[in-house]
Amino acid sequence: MPWGLHTKDTPGNGRVMIVDDEDNVRKVMRLSLAKAGYDVVEAEHGGEGITAIGSDDNMLMVDVIICDIRMPKINGLEAIAFFQQQYPSVPIIVVTGFPDQKMATDLLARGVFDYLVKPVDKEKLLQTVAAAMEKHLALRHDG
Amino acid sequence: MDASPSTIRVIIVGAGKGGTSLLELLTRSPDIQIVGMADINAEAPGLRLARNLGVRTETDALALIAEHRADLIVDVTGDPAVRSLLLQHKPPRAEVMGGTSALLLWKLAQHERDLRDQLIQSEKLASIGTLASGIAHEINNPLYTITGLSEHLRDEPQPEVVREYIEEIITAGKRIAGIVQGLNAFARRTQEEEVCEIDLNRTLDEAVKMARRATVLDQVQVVTRYAAAQTVRGKTDELLQVFVNLVTNAVQAMEGKGTVTLSTVSHNGFVQATVRDSGPGIPRNNLNRIFDPFFTTKEQGKGTGLGLHIVRDIVTKYGGQVTAESALGEGATFTVNLPASPH
Repeated sequence: MPWGLHTKDTPGNGRVMIVDDEDNVRKVMRLSLAKAGYDVVEAEHGGEGITAIGSDDNMLMVDVIICDIRMPKINGLEAIAFFQQQYPSVPIIVVTGFPDQKMATDLLARGVFDYLVKPVDKEKLLQTVAAAMEKHLALRHDG
Repeated sequence: MDASPSTIRVIIVGAGKGGTSLLELLTRSPDIQIVGMADINAEAPGLRLARNLGVRTETDALALIAEHRADLIVDVTGDPAVRSLLLQHKPPRAEVMGGTSALLLWKLAQHERDLRDQLIQSEKLASIGTLASGIAHEINNPLYTITGLSEHLRDEPQPEVVREYIEEIITAGKRIAGIVQGLNAFARRTQEEEVCEIDLNRTLDEAVKMARRATVLDQVQVVTRYAAAQTVRGKTDELLQVFVNLVTNAVQAMEGKGTVTLSTVSHNGFVQATVRDSGPGIPRNNLNRIFDPFFTTKEQGKGTGLGLHIVRDIVTKYGGQVTAESALGEGATFTVNLPASPH
């Protein structure tokens, strides 16, 4: 599949990057998303996500980012700050196993698309990703 | 200790329950100096605590009175014969407090002890909240594997894929079981637990494990420098709480990034355990106040301001001391000294 931005005319439903340090968590999400027609890219921690999305001349374009918070090396908060600064049009969905109301409020106020707590219901995940995808397309058309 | 003019020099006679409570209470005040404690029983609990605190002990009260100038002699023996002896032999300027007045003071000291126990309990409840959300995180990941893969099993036609998912579900279930087992072990330690011999090195290791649940340690390097087998006496969960609080504080001070160094060493009949962090350090103004109850630099709702106070409370209770050293930009070191227990 060629690297590039997803549009209404490209095949598939768009590309989602999952940043989570748990193999199985990424696997469960990947299975759901792949079945729903999304192209999935995985990263084990914030640093890998940043490298993946920003490798210079072969820039990997993603439409939606799903990001955990508690991760080794570069954690979710730092990665999210980076993504928001570099790719402001890419919606970020936080999926965390560490429910923290204050953090949720802060992140949502800072423009994170949604804050979901594990274990996330499959339908809820797909609905949220679909809504985020729509927002990304709308933002790109506006900009 | 060099006595300032306002310091009251006190001798406690009687080292049973009453004397011990009084000693515990009075040593906390910077304006009171306990110059000595006497009891005819050399192994009375109060004398043991006094020795650990570096307070002079005697089996002969009169010898103590003769050798050390005191402003106040508190007699908690309740024995009229002791009282009249003390009144006869006291230095002219010293007052003797005995009988009902001493009993009243003892009751007040006991009441204060009860209040402190309640404080410890409320801090425990607050830390259970933090612990609970840490556990939620640990359990939610494998739980997500179980629910997520089960959903996919429903319409998975390939038997080998089904088998693979089932294996992963079993592994995740076992992981949750392991977490719950660890929690049970912690919950079993009740308040009625006895004072016993405790290997402080193991306590420190366990504290790191517990702190991992209460805070994020992923980006913290934990370095340990233990001297061989360091045994002290105390209640397991109380000493654990001391070091969980110190380690959690260290991690929070470093905002989750840096190095925590734990070390133990024997020193003059004491075991010295230190928790050092590589955080921003503690401003001089705060250094004097960090052990005060309800003193906190954390934002509202994040800290009770009781953590370090309780650390000091528990350590003092076992005849030990805790000190904090820090310079801005150079991290902070908390040193706990506890009387070594003979093997």
